[in-house]
Amino acid sequence: MRAVKERIAITGAGIVCGAGLTVREIWNALREGRSAVAPIRQWDATTWPARMAAELVGVDNRTLVEDRKLHKTISRTDLFGLYAAGRAIEESGVLAVRSTLSDSDAAEYSDRSGVFAGSGGGAYGSNYDFFPLLTAAGGDLRAFGRELAATVNPMWLLKHLPNNVLCHVGIRHGFKGTNACITNHCVSGMLAIAEAAAALHAGEADRAVAVGHDAPIEPETVLHYAQAGLLAGDALRPFSAERDGTVLGEGAGAVLLERLADAKQRGATVLGEYLGSGCCNEAMGVLELRPDGDGLARAIRLALEDAAISVGDVGMIVAHGNGTQISDASEALAIGEVFSHHPPPITAFKWAFGHLIAASGALDLVLALQALRAQEVPGIATLTAPDSAFAALPLSRTAQRPRSDIALVLCRGFGSLNVATVVRANVPSPS
Amino acid sequence: MNRRRIAITGIGMVTPLGNDVATTWLGLREGRSGVGPITNFDASGFSTRIGAEVKGFDAEAVIQDRRLLKFASRSHRFALGAATEALADAGIRPDDTTAPRWGCCVGAGMMGVSFEELKLVHGACAADGELHPAEFVSGQYSSDPVGFCRSQANAGLALVTRHFGIRGYATSVHTACASGGQALGTALKVMRRGLADYVLAGGYDSMLNPIGLSGFCLLGALSTDNDQPERASRPFDATRNGFVLGEGAGFLVLEEWNAARKRGAHIYAELAGDGNSLSSYRITDSHPSGDGPIQAMRQSLASAGLTVEDLDYINAHGTSTQMNDRSECAALRAVLGTQTERVAVSSTKSCMGHLIAAAGAIEAGVCALAIRDGIAPVNAHLEQLDPECGVSLVRGKSRPLRIRAALSNSLGFGGSNSCLTFRHPDEVADA
Repeated sequence: MRAVKERIAITGAGIVCGAGLTVREIWNALREGRSAVAPIRQWDATTWPARMAAELVGVDNRTLVEDRKLHKTISRTDLFGLYAAGRAIEESGVLAVRSTLSDSDAAEYSDRSGVFAGSGGGAYGSNYDFFPLLTAAGGDLRAFGRELAATVNPMWLLKHLPNNVLCHVGIRHGFKGTNACITNHCVSGMLAIAEAAAALHAGEADRAVAVGHDAPIEPETVLHYAQAGLLAGDALRPFSAERDGTVLGEGAGAVLLERLADAKQRGATVLGEYLGSGCCNEAMGVLELRPDGDGLARAIRLALEDAAISVGDVGMIVAHGNGTQISDASEALAIGEVFSHHPPPITAFKWAFGHLIAASGALDLVLALQALRAQEVPGIATLTAPDSAFAALPLSRTAQRPRSDIALVLCRGFGSLNVATVVRANVPSPS
Repeated sequence: MNRRRIAITGIGMVTPLGNDVATTWLGLREGRSGVGPITNFDASGFSTRIGAEVKGFDAEAVIQDRRLLKFASRSHRFALGAATEALADAGIRPDDTTAPRWGCCVGAGMMGVSFEELKLVHGACAADGELHPAEFVSGQYSSDPVGFCRSQANAGLALVTRHFGIRGYATSVHTACASGGQALGTALKVMRRGLADYVLAGGYDSMLNPIGLSGFCLLGALSTDNDQPERASRPFDATRNGFVLGEGAGFLVLEEWNAARKRGAHIYAELAGDGNSLSSYRITDSHPSGDGPIQAMRQSLASAGLTVEDLDYINAHGTSTQMNDRSECAALRAVLGTQTERVAVSSTKSCMGHLIAAAGAIEAGVCALAIRDGIAPVNAHLEQLDPECGVSLVRGKSRPLRIRAALSNSLGFGGSNSCLTFRHPDEVADA
């Protein structure tokens, strides 16, 4: 017989993306149909095969991470991750709890505080620091080696460690417990949340921050994505007949998880509960995915089973909805297969702030909680011409109402990966 | 506690000592060195010109899928080779029925782009040393979709799951030098949670290229004993002066214990416990007291339901840097206490060098082989013991030792610490 699992509360959240720096700002953009997608500003992309992105512009790095010394030793993606994780930890109030403890109890508290990062970042730009050296060496590797120390920042490697957010969250907030850094493309952040919850279930930690972060908008990435046919011309139109690809975004999402019993005991504000997840891949390689949505359907079923709920309990679905022809079509098939004739209201958020790759799942999950708490499923503002193939699905350009306090959040990525996660919101009672 | 037991039933390795398990293990038992002058490229201008290279590995002889290999980088090829050997050794592989119950957990190296690809971008878009994004679309540069696939953080995972038809839980992790250990720890947790009955788990890396070597040269982390490569890696020796960069891959096949027994599989050892912690001290430095690794080791033993009394062997992280070896020994003494004199310790990096993201996975295989054969492999090249490294090191030559239980440490840059526990199959009571 299966033991009853400990209930896991979400007591803090932090998100940042092109649409804003707070849950409130980003939520308002979603509700009001405002998109942060705009022509790329980091370089002149007017003649590029794809020239739109949802960049975080006009924000000083010090707004994200106050410590200026740190800026020299971390990358753009790390700034986002540290910001979101910091906000989640701060909102939860756990540091205030630790500060009341004796030294030895505080040390134990830190050892029982885990960090789970889903990390993405520029695969290309990090190496550009070697361009001046390559030029100076003029193709001679011997000269390259000789001139290295005089030309390249000695801390170069550390600046680009994929596990920087993991480690700096630990250092900044004194979290020292069980941890993981997941580098699994789009599902990284979502898997980080699932692994953090699993660590709490297994008694390996008493609380954990889970964060997904990414900064994929760099010239080479945009070029490759565009040439692989993945990027949209002007807008990301999930499930629309005229959808023609995704749009890259950047930012991070984070949550602080702890046992519900602990959260209640210390009087913390509970935003919601993590109920369960499922992860499957389709063995299709890096770019391909199964047109029938098999892996996603299996992941959804596993998530519902893990959450010990049935399809009828799901009140809304936040689809991955990345706006590519094949991903949206196969996602619709998977949802249709699992929910047959009665799927709950479905929405997708990426039209408003782009696809944050490794951060996408974590951001969607935080906003799903917000939607449930507000009892409003935001419409898809770019759904101008719904694809008739999805006529049976409750997709809407305008707001719908969730059927319950439970949301299913879907996340898919390269490597034919699929992760489904179920959360329940603590819906504030009307006062 | 009634938890699922996990059996190690297959091992595969591609290492600087040999391109399979038998050759690698023989090399380790005999204390041979896999270190020599770097031949992958002209390293003659670098401060370090030695490395532990994989020699003469012919991927096409092992993987009869040339199209797949086009998508595989050097480290992916090692991964596919080691995974092939591990599955053949276990005598089991995914089929249509079992594929969804097979998981895959990998520790992937941080380098996605090859030096050749970087040079192409430099030549076309940054000849003067500075990137000119416009050149990407001016016709000088042609984007290579296959290179784009190879450069993705989870490309190795995607290739392995596709090639072997694994369709369950799949994840790719990176915590620098602890990656391989963390991948196996994740696999153990996933299996204990019942998400998979079989997991192909391992690590792969190759940073023996101009950029990877540069990164570590800049940090001053590498041994510069260019005139005596064979004994450049000498963990715990008073004269040690840095680690030796290696490359390769290691994979294990993990199976639910009773199922493995039932099919009459050979069980090397039980993967019995996993612990991991963050030092949260400094990005490059380990805490002199061993704080961080201490918690990981204790957690790992607790996770296995064992105490230090049950331990007979520890495969140390032992990189041969001044700082790691001292700090790790402080941690070992703190954990072992009165058992410090009794428990044999060695670092097999003394022969193999440091394989970064692959290290922990290969060393897990080494622990399983040490248990099977009753041999504690030698800590080679230890002539003048650092008095600060007072643990019971296996000196001179490998020695017979019945190992009831073993630990393997992997301690990464940024303070990610992983510790795995292995148990002799005869010590495990069948459920």
